[in-house]
Amino acid sequence: MEGSLAKRSADLLIVGLNHRSAPVEVRERLAFSNGALEAALRRLVDAEMVREGMILSTCNRVEIITSTTDVAAADEKIKSFLAETQGSSRSVFEEHLYTRVGKDALGHLFRVAASLDSLVVGEPQILGQVKDAYATASEVGTLGEVLHRCFHKTFAVAKRVRSETRVAAKAVSVSSAAVELARSIFDHLHDKTAMVIGAGEIGELAVRHLQNHGIGKILVTNRTFSRAVELAQEFNGTVVPFEQFHTHLYFADIVIGSAGGNDYLVGRATVEEALRERKRRPMFFIDLGVPRNFDPRLNDIENIFLYDIDDLQQVIEENKDEREREALKAEAIVTEEVETFWQWLSGLEVTPTIIALREKAETIRQHELEKTFAVLKELPPHAQKAIEALSSGIINKLLHPPIAYLKSTGRTGEADNAREVAVIRRMFGLDEDSE
Amino acid sequence: MELILLKAALLFYLLSTVAFLLPFLSRRALPRWLGPGFLLAAFSCHAGAILSRSVTAGYIAVTNFYEALSFFACLTAGLCLLVQLRTPVVLLGAVVSPIVFLLTLTAFVFYANVQTLPPSLHSPWLPIHVTLAFLGYAVFGVAFSASFLYLVQEKQLKTKKARLLFRRLPSLETLDDLNYRSLSWGFPLLTLGILSGAVWAQYAWGQFWLWEPRLVLSVLTWVLYALLLYYRTAGWQGRRAAALTIICFAVLLVSFLGVRLLPGRHGGQFG
Repeated sequence: MEGSLAKRSADLLIVGLNHRSAPVEVRERLAFSNGALEAALRRLVDAEMVREGMILSTCNRVEIITSTTDVAAADEKIKSFLAETQGSSRSVFEEHLYTRVGKDALGHLFRVAASLDSLVVGEPQILGQVKDAYATASEVGTLGEVLHRCFHKTFAVAKRVRSETRVAAKAVSVSSAAVELARSIFDHLHDKTAMVIGAGEIGELAVRHLQNHGIGKILVTNRTFSRAVELAQEFNGTVVPFEQFHTHLYFADIVIGSAGGNDYLVGRATVEEALRERKRRPMFFIDLGVPRNFDPRLNDIENIFLYDIDDLQQVIEENKDEREREALKAEAIVTEEVETFWQWLSGLEVTPTIIALREKAETIRQHELEKTFAVLKELPPHAQKAIEALSSGIINKLLHPPIAYLKSTGRTGEADNAREVAVIRRMFGLDEDSE
Repeated sequence: MELILLKAALLFYLLSTVAFLLPFLSRRALPRWLGPGFLLAAFSCHAGAILSRSVTAGYIAVTNFYEALSFFACLTAGLCLLVQLRTPVVLLGAVVSPIVFLLTLTAFVFYANVQTLPPSLHSPWLPIHVTLAFLGYAVFGVAFSASFLYLVQEKQLKTKKARLLFRRLPSLETLDDLNYRSLSWGFPLLTLGILSGAVWAQYAWGQFWLWEPRLVLSVLTWVLYALLLYYRTAGWQGRRAAALTIICFAVLLVSFLGVRLLPGRHGGQFG
């Protein structure tokens, strides 16, 4: 159990599966619905073995995050817990589960929240999902000191990754790339008009993305009029009859082509005309059609920007490269944060050990004093005092080196410091039940 | 005092240039306030230097090449800060900072001691004329920077090769808007600057106009900007407007330096 904390003290344990370890059939079986979460949390946490617990369940992962006193037993308990609550036999999911303990668990948690473990690295939703899961567990009351502290740190690390790297900054889908480009042409979209020609699926997706970014107005045109009406209703847009869309083109700041057919729907002359009408204000043509909808030479016209599906793909590739480079930086941040936080956590484990050591010595001393005084009943008070002082002098001198040693390990927090704490506990029998 | 402040300003201009440009060269993120912060420090020191010189001289210190250049640089830096306050175009600082640094450095090289002012220049028109004209120049400097960035951004959108260096450019619309707003401020300022100069010349020399190459250049600049503004209001957008703004500013720089370096009564040595 590399890097795990001393026995008896709380240890982090994560049991879970994600999009890499398990196929969707397994993930959907283990996923918790929002309504079932609270009851499941109460079942998961007991006062002894699983001291604290949280459940993170998204479409790409199910993670049971706990603080436990006995890793092996808790691991076992979580697996049966999953089988029981989700009504599935263990053999279905067991081989897809991973188990992370101690420092590894902490690193895993940081990476998940910072979106480094996501299907699309850097996607922003996961942090919100982690925060929701934390809030639910917090309300139900299954979080204690260890997990509270870990999660606060986790959110801080995710924030740091976000602000210091550009891992989440760039678009990695066709429609988000289109929006990204639109925003490097136009300052804001709320006073802009988009015209969508045709009813192709990616076209629809692109419009929806523009809408999410607050596009002002949407014009819809299609060869089949009824389909155009349908789409317009969906987007709350205005229908332009297909035969007339050329004359309406000048309204549009953004023109999306996603129609079928072999001919160019928009050529140079049409666009020159539209530009004149709109006083040469820039226009952004997004050609999502294959074969293409717009004459590629449109890009040569001043203030016209034309991107076809390959150009957008190119943008995405560059963005992906950048994300990967940024992800490396983010991993370095996580490693650094795990180190410092782990030192701090281990330091927390040192203090109870020191206290336990002192208490044990004091108990022995009191016990022995009682025995001695019972035999030497006639002892004058000043002699009694002298014996008490002698005994406490001996234990203080004896305990000084181990306590100093513990304090120094707490400060340096080396990787195997937890193991050393465990050795000291065993040496002085701190974990044995009192006789 | 003046020289200490000026040197401090130079140092801060250099620091702000580095702070603005570093994010392009390395991938390390710097705090956002660093560039504007250094620029503000530089501007404050610079303004202090000019103020201290003006107090010593007893007139606003804009009468020789060093003073004029220094004054112009200081105004441009202040204006850039003002614009940043309203529209946070981070890259504007990246263009303006190095320019202002070089201008101030040039001014520093041509440093001259305070001179006694010929009586003809002892006039309340001196600060009015110079401040108006220079404010106009500084505003045009901002318009130039916006246009320069516009052309870079337009080029990479057209060629579809977004070099990672320039990923952080503002949108074309923002830059075009900044260009237009700067022009519509700069032009009235320049016009008033020239008019106040004419009025002053009438008082000082008895005639409002001299046929000197430098004055002719100034008027040529004015005509060019008038044309640019006319075309802009008539609906010129984007690339063409940006290109013309850059040409106009080049002519302005020639006329600005010309006013100091060409022979004549205006500026430079006073007759």
